Amino acid sequence: MSKDLLAEATRALRETTPVSEFEARATRARVMTGLHQTRVRRRTRLAFLLPIAASFVAVSAWGAASGRARVVLVELQHWVGDTVNAPTKSAPTNAKASRQLTAPPPTAASAKEPALLVPEPRPEPVLQPPASVASAATPLRALASASAASRAEQDDPALALYRAAHSAHFVAHDPARALAAWDAYLRAAPRGQFAPEARYNRALSLVRLGRNQEARSALEPFANGAYGGYRKSEASALLERLDP
Amino acid sequence: MTFSGLTMMTEQALASDDAELADELVLRLRRADPSAVAEVYDAHHAVVRAFAKRLVGDAASAEDLVHEVFVSLPQAVRKFRGDSALRTFLISIAVNHSRHFVRAAQRRRRAISAYGEMKTHESSDPEHEARRKELADLLTRALDTLPIEQRVAFVLCEVEERTSVEAAEIVGAPEATLRTRLFHAKRKLRLALETEGFG
Repeated sequence: MSKDLLAEATRALRETTPVSEFEARATRARVMTGLHQTRVRRRTRLAFLLPIAASFVAVSAWGAASGRARVVLVELQHWVGDTVNAPTKSAPTNAKASRQLTAPPPTAASAKEPALLVPEPRPEPVLQPPASVASAATPLRALASASAASRAEQDDPALALYRAAHSAHFVAHDPARALAAWDAYLRAAPRGQFAPEARYNRALSLVRLGRNQEARSALEPFANGAYGGYRKSEASALLERLDP
Repeated sequence: MTFSGLTMMTEQALASDDAELADELVLRLRRADPSAVAEVYDAHHAVVRAFAKRLVGDAASAEDLVHEVFVSLPQAVRKFRGDSALRTFLISIAVNHSRHFVRAAQRRRRAISAYGEMKTHESSDPEHEARRKELADLLTRALDTLPIEQRVAFVLCEVEERTSVEAAEIVGAPEATLRTRLFHAKRKLRLALETEGFG
């Protein structure tokens, strides 16, 4: 009985599904509208994304070709507030080196420098000093960091010069020694990855030594935007103070 | 050349032309060509709509499901390899999208039932017609108690009278699995109809 009832109900369901012409046409119109909207959305997306992607590619290519990509990235990092390290170009040695770079916290001594009319720069990229290596969590990790740092220096001798200059400038606060060290680094790597920082710090050393004329010519490219926005405002402020 | 040989060659040529046309249509669908979607809609909407109505048991939800099938067709047709007919493929899209619409229809039926607004058949209808509609409604409500897989299997095999091979192809499951689902669906439906005391 129930089997017959199920069969009867099934037949009834099969037969009571009339197709309404009106519903069919209405749904067809909805489908076509939906497809049209999808196409419009896709075109709009492309219209926005393609120019953005093309601009990004063009700017990247220009930056790579003109060598200004790094300056822009440095500026971007400063703007974002990332003080970890300067970006690397592409060489694996640079990648290794960048892992060794950390930003030291501003010291009390450096905060008391205004007597020299030179504002203490924001933390610069610095190679990890042995002391902080020693303070690493475990001796094994410290050893690994030290050996990695020494490997990085072996791969790029300019890094050792940069570290020495950084130490003389920010740790020893010896402008004469720092100036010589920055010059040494810039001779070794005039287009090195930290060349803009080195040039700016060299200019600060000149200011501290009272060699105002040389300092002025060293600061002018920064104030004129030769390095994008990097240290532009600081250099302008210093130049104003140096003016007789 | 004999007449039968000539006829066979003509049929082969026509079949080849049909295949080329179908391939071209699929290519246009993949490009989301609206005229291609319209062409497919005009050719197959009745089958898809009938299946949707039988599956969800609600005209409004069925229309929504039909809409969903054809709007998603340009995207879905990328998976179409031409192993089955386009019509079968459309039904499989409907099956894949049906879960949400079946639930919506179930909710609507429950709401209508709760408010006692279920339409009663007019007394002017012939008795046979009234009983047939009532049976269809009863079966639709009984289908609501089934898991979606069993519901799809029952509608495909029993209501639409498709072969188990075709139904298995539509749902993308082995034939044996489909038969098992159908067996359980029928057992539960018989029980539900008996419980309702219709007869």
